[in-house]
Amino acid sequence: MKRKRTAFVLAALLIVAAAGIYFYYGFLFKGARDIASEKADFNITATKLLEAYNEDPKKADVLYLNKTIEITGAVTKETDSVITLENTVFCLFTQKIKEKHLDHKVSVKGKCIGYDELFQEVKLDQCTLNQPHN
Amino acid sequence: MKKSIIHFFVLVLLITVSTDAWAQKLITKTGNIKFQASTPSNEEVAAENKSVSAVLEPSTGDFAALVLIKGFRFKVALMEEHFNENYMESEKFSKATLKGKMEDFDLSKVTSTAKNFTLKGDLTLHGVTKPITVTVKVSKAANGVMAMGSFEVKPEDYGIEIPNLVRKKIADKIKVNYNFLLVK
Repeated sequence: MKRKRTAFVLAALLIVAAAGIYFYYGFLFKGARDIASEKADFNITATKLLEAYNEDPKKADVLYLNKTIEITGAVTKETDSVITLENTVFCLFTQKIKEKHLDHKVSVKGKCIGYDELFQEVKLDQCTLNQPHN
Repeated sequence: MKKSIIHFFVLVLLITVSTDAWAQKLITKTGNIKFQASTPSNEEVAAENKSVSAVLEPSTGDFAALVLIKGFRFKVALMEEHFNENYMESEKFSKATLKGKMEDFDLSKVTSTAKNFTLKGDLTLHGVTKPITVTVKVSKAANGVMAMGSFEVKPEDYGIEIPNLVRKKIADKIKVNYNFLLVK
């Protein structure tokens, strides 16, 4: 009888401890989203993305905002940490871009942060470059 | 169907016209905004956005800036989530804008030492628009100007509710620092 009781108490204690650890690491100190390793929810061209935002910004926000998306298009402008695709999609990189891609078709994965009315561009941050295709 | 085609052409026309008109304007797409909402002896509440857009019309001093809320990065992931979901409601209000005019702005008077200008305008945040006056330090930079400074914002002015439980951990006045390198 006593042994059963200790076993029960021990099991309960273990469960509580496990829940505590789970809460501590899984919830309080949950790691940040790692866009680079996330699988893209959408895979579209730069022009299509801008079209979607021009047509209905609210609908486009529901579809793309805060999602990891993969955009393909020709590089029209590049600086240290920014690549602009087809003059319509602004991609901010976390690391400096080493290679030159101007005028080449590339595919960029990043988090869509919204539409910039001042310059009529869709903005992505935490971008990484996928293997360039020719 | 026909109407939508016309709409599309009007849009294209508008885009080309507006980009043309901006030929002489000073712009940035990678402006920097940092805000600091920490209180003494509590966890740091701060974030940074490195992709702020801004336009300055040097002939009139007209200024506009736009920041996408989802672009603010925190050190702690959970804080970023709360900021987006509970406080800024960035799914609903995805951007904040500041539109205004720098009084007596004269590009020829801008030198390499910073000069203060008063910017009067409207700040739209969390769907609420309020007038704001900001002092901007402007100095000369390669191919344009550097505009920087800071201002304070009260969350309750913009309808951002902070629960009592965390009230002490978030400053009453949030300090916003900005830094724009505006070029041709």
